[in-house]
Amino acid sequence: MKGKRLKCFGLALGCLAASFLDIAESLELIPTEGTYIVPYVANAAGILYNRDMFAEHGWQIPETWSELIQLCETIQGEGILPFYFGWKDIWTCLAPWNAMAVELSPSDTAKQVNRGQTTFTQEYRELAEKYLNLLDYGPGDPFAYGYNDACTAFARGEAAMYPIGSYAAPQILSVNPDLNMDSFVMPAGDNKEDRTLNSGIDLGFCVMASCENKEAAYEVLDFLLEYENMQKYIDDQNAVPCRNGEFQLASILDGMLPFIEEGNMTDYQDHYYPSEMSVDALLQTFLIQKDVDAFLANFDTSWQRYNRDIIRMVQEYEQGR
Amino acid sequence: MKHTSTVGKTNKAALVLLILGLSTIIFPLYMTVVIAFKQPSEMTNSISGILSLPKNWSLANFREAMEVTDFWRSLKNSLVISVLTVVLSVLIHSLMGYALGRNKAHSKFYGFVYLFIVSGMFVPFAILMMPLAKQTAELGLANWAGVIILYVVFYMPMNIMLYSGYLVNIPMALEEAARVDGASTWKTYWKIIFPIMGPMHATVAVITALAVWNDVMTPLIIMAGSGENTLPLAQLNFQSQFGTNYNLAFASYLLSLIPILIFYMVCQKQILNGVTNGAVK
Amino acid sequence: MKNDRQRTFLLITVPILALFVCFNTIPLIRGVIYSFTNFRGFGKYDWVGLRNYIDLFTDVRVGKSYLFTIKLAVVTTIVVNVISMVLALGLNSKIRAKGFFRGAYFLPNILGSLVVGYIFNYFFTYIIPALADMTGITALSKSILSSPDKAWIGVMIVCAWQAIAMNTIIYISGLQTVPEDVYEAGGLDGATGWKQFRYLTFPLIIPFFSINMVLCVKNFLMVFDQIMALTKGGPAQSTESISYLIYNNGMSGGQFGFQSTNAVVFFIVIVIISVAQMKFSGSKEEQL
Repeated sequence: MKGKRLKCFGLALGCLAASFLDIAESLELIPTEGTYIVPYVANAAGILYNRDMFAEHGWQIPETWSELIQLCETIQGEGILPFYFGWKDIWTCLAPWNAMAVELSPSDTAKQVNRGQTTFTQEYRELAEKYLNLLDYGPGDPFAYGYNDACTAFARGEAAMYPIGSYAAPQILSVNPDLNMDSFVMPAGDNKEDRTLNSGIDLGFCVMASCENKEAAYEVLDFLLEYENMQKYIDDQNAVPCRNGEFQLASILDGMLPFIEEGNMTDYQDHYYPSEMSVDALLQTFLIQKDVDAFLANFDTSWQRYNRDIIRMVQEYEQGR
Repeated sequence: MKHTSTVGKTNKAALVLLILGLSTIIFPLYMTVVIAFKQPSEMTNSISGILSLPKNWSLANFREAMEVTDFWRSLKNSLVISVLTVVLSVLIHSLMGYALGRNKAHSKFYGFVYLFIVSGMFVPFAILMMPLAKQTAELGLANWAGVIILYVVFYMPMNIMLYSGYLVNIPMALEEAARVDGASTWKTYWKIIFPIMGPMHATVAVITALAVWNDVMTPLIIMAGSGENTLPLAQLNFQSQFGTNYNLAFASYLLSLIPILIFYMVCQKQILNGVTNGAVK
Repeated sequence: MKNDRQRTFLLITVPILALFVCFNTIPLIRGVIYSFTNFRGFGKYDWVGLRNYIDLFTDVRVGKSYLFTIKLAVVTTIVVNVISMVLALGLNSKIRAKGFFRGAYFLPNILGSLVVGYIFNYFFTYIIPALADMTGITALSKSILSSPDKAWIGVMIVCAWQAIAMNTIIYISGLQTVPEDVYEAGGLDGATGWKQFRYLTFPLIIPFFSINMVLCVKNFLMVFDQIMALTKGGPAQSTESISYLIYNNGMSGGQFGFQSTNAVVFFIVIVIISVAQMKFSGSKEEQL
């Protein structure tokens, strides 16, 4: 069935990377027939690191959680700050959370909870406990600094790593255009084979059913999806293309390239969170109060409250099957 | 020029206080100017870094900011909207303030209308946003004209409050004298009351112009599709969640500050040169 | 003659009132209707009766936002009015460079919130702690914006800093209505300084005092820009104002229906507070 709706314009859906079509599909609350988006570009989140600093000290890219913590200890031992955090801007609290969640929790955690099969207290405990460990390796008062402060500090070499997405690169490079940085997938478990890249659709297109000029819209899409035009966009935004084919990716994505080529990518967990629940603010509160149990309990109760209508819809669908 | 004055002794103390208070304004202004001239690569998190002077005083940021915001066109839109809103507000709100201010104390109807309109000030804008966007579109007002009408309505409660507050100190005797001479109420208003309220017109003009000049929300939801920008709308181009060009933004904000500052300086002379005292005596 | 006066007043009032109803009252009513739905701001929605209203009174987050907002509004209103009054008296007295001062004090109001946010964030995050370290005041060595207990003070300072100019202008225009002979007469009776202010100046500018009180309470109860610029509701959700919740969860989040309910209730609360305020100062005015 997939592709039927999109075949009408020049490019068939087949040219789009399957991994992103899966991501688009799983974002539907209840399964739908057909695909309703043309994914265009994606981003990738994990850890950005200062390549020169790593080379100078001979630090290795960590592939498991314990290696990451070991690395942080080593860096700290040399009098350098391992991480910078900009948690005053609450949305950045989600970056490490998402990057670790893709490895530690099932990608459909939220849907499982909606179906009543599990709770967040169960699925997120390890994630929450590990997240707290990061506090030891960041600046003294991470809640005083915003995203912009963190980008500036990382750009100026005040920290070796910054857990954030590729989308931060332009801001960082604007402060220090000569910064030699790269990225790696944030390891959160003990088995390096379990790692998966945290990536989601950044930009996608839809054509409304009621659109009067469908042909013209398809023509625009065809144009945008041409290789050279996509390459232009990718160069400008350090983005990951959602189309199969040979593209030249930004050098800051070098460390993530194997995952992108394999299609080993998992969507952000927060794309399933209702924004009004403000999970970012809950995370900030958690990082300040450091109370795992209270945070997880609050997560579950808030989830039920904010998703009441969705949960009912999902359960009605399940019963109807 | 007539103005009230306190006794000579207190003036020195006032001056000292004013200068102290001034430092809380000079410092942010200094930062704004310095940042507006710097390049993104000169931004740091250290105090000496942020307070230092820019490497060179190039106007490049201002030039680029003007380009990005399509400055002259956006400025023209902002000016048209602000000027028309201020003129309409002064005319309409002062009239309404007069009608309500003179009657609200002894008439249940006017008292109610006064409270009804003033309460409108407290409606959270968020609840009006969606209905207003629909309504202006239905009426073909999804453009600058619609924005002006909405402003005249939005600032009506506050301005009516200001005007009727001002009227309290204007004696009825003035109007009664005119009435004895056979002038109609309408004529009396324009000939006597309206000019007397000069300082309040200037106050209302400043407050309204300022609110309109800086407002983003109303033009954003009403005229976003019209292809025209106001300055604050155009300035949204500088910021996003993932990156903000503070240098260009600050340059742009400094530019858009100049017209309103000039307007204020003109108006504050008016507030000062109030004819009230002379006329009342 | 009396008839002419009444007819004129009516001819002024009715059309302007109609304009107001058309662009304020009618959209408000349309908004109130959403408060009985589970509308997310897009897509389909259902009627949910009074569910939103019942939820509102049991919602901890909304409750916290009311407490924060009221605390902020009360303190800021007092701070702003005291400072504005002092400034207005100062700016109204015979001093040098009055025009310059008046211009300068107006500036905080016209700097856009992006600028104000950046500068004050910098101020609280880097400058104050550095000064505190230098002078050894340990209480201030951490950014107040990162402390859930103290962040509201930062918001209060910025709100006051921006609002003082406007309130000062209103007080100055109030002072213009005080006839000079009042002071001359008072001076003969020996009223100077505080006494002169308390018994001569202040009673005459009470209408402006009450306008400023109402405007302050309204502006600070509806505080939004400063929250967006400084804290975005943090740290630990300690500075989520009511308007911030309404906007953030209703407009950019999917709680349009529920937050419409919040807005309706909030509207009623502010109207009650303000009408009480106006009635109170109205009775004060009449006493004089």
